[in-house]
Amino acid sequence: MKLRKALLFWYSLLGLIVFLTVFSTIFSPYSPNEMNMDEIYSAPSSDHWLGTDHLGRDVFSRLLEGGKVTLVVASGSVILSLFIGIVYGGISGYFGGVIDTVMMRLLEALITIPALIIILVFQVIVQGGMWSMALLIGLTGWLVTARIVRSEFIRLKEEEFIKMANMLGTPVWNILWGHLLRNSIPAIFVVTLFNFAGAIFMEVSLSFLGIGIPPTIPSWGNMLYYAQNDILIGAWWIGLFPGIMIFLTILAINFIGEAWKNPERRRVND
Amino acid sequence: MIEVRDLSIQIKGKHITHHIDFTITRGNITSLIGESGSGKSMTVSALLGMLPDDAKVSGSIMYEGRNLLDASDQEMESVRKQDVFTIFQDALNSFNPSVKMGRQLYAFSGERVGDSLPVFNEKMHVILEKLGLSWEVVEQYPFQLSGGMLQRCMIACAFYVEPALLIADEPTSALDMVLQKEFIQLLIRLNEEKGTTIFLITHDLDIVAKAAHEMVVMQQGRIVETGKVETIFSHPGHAYTKRLLKSRF
Repeated sequence: MKLRKALLFWYSLLGLIVFLTVFSTIFSPYSPNEMNMDEIYSAPSSDHWLGTDHLGRDVFSRLLEGGKVTLVVASGSVILSLFIGIVYGGISGYFGGVIDTVMMRLLEALITIPALIIILVFQVIVQGGMWSMALLIGLTGWLVTARIVRSEFIRLKEEEFIKMANMLGTPVWNILWGHLLRNSIPAIFVVTLFNFAGAIFMEVSLSFLGIGIPPTIPSWGNMLYYAQNDILIGAWWIGLFPGIMIFLTILAINFIGEAWKNPERRRVND
Repeated sequence: MIEVRDLSIQIKGKHITHHIDFTITRGNITSLIGESGSGKSMTVSALLGMLPDDAKVSGSIMYEGRNLLDASDQEMESVRKQDVFTIFQDALNSFNPSVKMGRQLYAFSGERVGDSLPVFNEKMHVILEKLGLSWEVVEQYPFQLSGGMLQRCMIACAFYVEPALLIADEPTSALDMVLQKEFIQLLIRLNEEKGTTIFLITHDLDIVAKAAHEMVVMQQGRIVETGKVETIFSHPGHAYTKRLLKSRF
């Protein structure tokens, strides 16, 4: 019971963050890029709830808008990595044999290279904005998903209901879609959730290094990047609030993912 | 109906069955009995054309004038789809856990014989009622039903399809005694009402005694005795059969 209440709290927190950022245009009191040179570095007050930054921009407004950017990049990359992961893992797991061996060795080789390095190299080439960030994170984030899908497919392939379906001459696409993928959803969901947290973290780290989202677009990572200098002059509010948001979002996702890992929760009426 | 002659199965150089011969006669319940690992399940796989790719088979399985071992994949598929219905050991795993029963029962029965959904609903309703299942099962997921209920659902599909041959591979080993008895009654009913030929694979002599007309005793990949159940029970010929009969409670 206590666990359930805690989980409900994390659900609501994540829901609130997503809600506020998605409707940031309604909730933010100022335009996120509106500069006001008369009010630079003003501490949190009734006018500017979370203060302003070095250009006099409202931190609260930027926080909401930046959250939208960060979450959109994370969602986009997760959808991409989910797609690649399912196709790759699915082929590997379903066909097995030599195909599986080759595909898995290749995957292991890729897994040994840290994603950050690959993204760094590509960022130099594409020097992209928001969507190319999503693309890059997505292209490097599918490895674990592929592994999970593969192992689920291998496990399910031996089940009797798949044998039944094979015996009745069920078309292959139907077995893949209706039997294998459908029953892998709980596992895929959990790994995707963790991937999502990972993607947020990746965007934040890259932007913090100054090679992520272009400076013109506010994102949580970008805000942290610019807040580095501000902290030195005592403007703690510029860095603290994005930090708290990143922390809470990733924490909430991890707690939710952890709860879904528990197989008892997957079945509603057992 | 089915004549198995000189059937040998070899997997990775290991002999699973040695030159086995037996016959399944039309309209009867024929039981294949033997301990685990005696090659029963592989024999069934051979009948269904579902042996693993690396299996070597020799001999013949004659079904309605043709040898199933020579049949093309397409022919085999049509045999599996239209003539034979198979019930496996573990009913829970025979159903897709994330799909409601109604759709699966339709796939196992109505869809196979080409009935539309309304026709299926009407026919299945009657059959489920006859078997003591409520219509509500179609709205439930497999894990919400008990093993006995699921096995009865399988039998319901067999009642619906009215196959020429029903193969039941250890259908009762996951059920308790009471449910076992019930299930066997249903098999007998199917045989008597619809005249379905049943090939019952089991390791339980009590079930053979209750249900089967004829029996085939298998030991370590060889057939040691075949014949009518009463004859074998009163005059067992082979030492292994004698031992089996003695070990009954």
